[in-house]
Amino acid sequence: MSGSRLRATSVMVRFVTNTTKESKQDLLERLKKLEFDISEDEIFTSLTAARNLVEQQQVRPMLLVDDRALPDFKGIQTSDPNAVVIGLAPEHFHYQILNQAFRLLLDGAPLIAIHKARYYKRKDGLALGPGPFVTALEYATDTKATVVGKPEKTFFLEALRGTGCEPEETVMIGDDCRDDVGGAQNAGMRGILVKTGKYRAADEDKINPAPYLTCESFPHAVDHILQHLL
Amino acid sequence: MAAWSERLAGVRGVLLDISGVLYDGGEGGGAAIAGSVEAVARLKRSRLKVRFCTNESQKSRADLVGLLRRLGFDVSEGEVTAPAPAACLILKQRGLRPHLLVHDGVRSEFDQIDTSNPNCVVIADAGEDFSYRNMNKAFQVLMELENPVLFSLGKGRYYKETSGLMLDVGPYMKALEYACGIEAEVVGKPSPEFFKSALQEMGVEAHEAIMIGDDIVGDVGGAQQYGMRALQVRTGKFR
Repeated sequence: MSGSRLRATSVMVRFVTNTTKESKQDLLERLKKLEFDISEDEIFTSLTAARNLVEQQQVRPMLLVDDRALPDFKGIQTSDPNAVVIGLAPEHFHYQILNQAFRLLLDGAPLIAIHKARYYKRKDGLALGPGPFVTALEYATDTKATVVGKPEKTFFLEALRGTGCEPEETVMIGDDCRDDVGGAQNAGMRGILVKTGKYRAADEDKINPAPYLTCESFPHAVDHILQHLL
Repeated sequence: MAAWSERLAGVRGVLLDISGVLYDGGEGGGAAIAGSVEAVARLKRSRLKVRFCTNESQKSRADLVGLLRRLGFDVSEGEVTAPAPAACLILKQRGLRPHLLVHDGVRSEFDQIDTSNPNCVVIADAGEDFSYRNMNKAFQVLMELENPVLFSLGKGRYYKETSGLMLDVGPYMKALEYACGIEAEVVGKPSPEFFKSALQEMGVEAHEAIMIGDDIVGDVGGAQQYGMRALQVRTGKFR
């Protein structure tokens, strides 16, 4: 309902996510099943951001990403790699593969990190995310990774490409105070924090400047936008 | 030439790094670096005291010494200062029981240590045993502790084997530090306590000692920080 209310206006909409284990196609199908009216070119993921960077830099990446994310790199040359792309891929984070990546990086290959999450929740408890392994490789090679996902400024700016909108004309709605709202505001956008999903009480106090608005949910955020910002 | 004898004046003891200075590890035990066997022999024939100061933590001292002797080196266990025994002393002193993220080859060094119900983590150069699963287990142990303590046997970035450069314990230490938001305590070079105990065992003061190593930070930098002189060799991990 809220999505279609937004669509009824002249507002451009984009759906942005840090997921690294779903290709855009998979994500699209999942959202459509939940009856969201979305098209593929309205989705911008951190995987898309990584692919764009790879194409820009014209490199051939060693892809340490979930198999389910591979479709998003279709058409990219990966043989004789001269770059390393790391996402959430526990099955690749063992010694031999990381050592291979390390040797490439030592030879000057750039390191692209989809994001640097410390850990994530699994059924059996907390599990190491890609962040620690990116840090390991940065230390081993004395280099810095280019991080492409939220809360990086470049992620938000990339997401606006093709919309004809400036950051100042953009509102980001998210449940992660630091990564969604903080990141977006740092890029010059307004951020609305919704109290659903991973939100926990007083999250809004954790960033400076505070969120432009904190509200109950996505429909409430849309209410506010339609009433006050158009 | 005069300049050198001035710079080396008063040296009574030599601390020798092992990996990258005496030999490169690898398949079949590895290979001695050209001339190193004879160089050690010459040092021992001189009036200088000689001690081996290594961060080797994949093998026990016994295995390491056995391997070096097979390569022709004159070395015995009592002449080696290594991090695992140093860590055991610290664990005992502080009443700590470790979860060990180590290679099986070094486990015997921890035989006298109680590892039940761990209240800290010890990470060493686990090599192939740095699986995601093993790293995750160590991470989970740390996250459950009210006071998470992490010991790292050295913090080297990488070392040389005959097949090429290999990730050392340092990067994995940094991974756990980042994941848990903590700082590890380093046992081994370049920690001052480690150099102190090596010099004590050799019976020589810092200003009378010279360290020979391939790691500019861990060996050379660390030794000089401690008040020793140090020589950088262009073998091993040197680039």
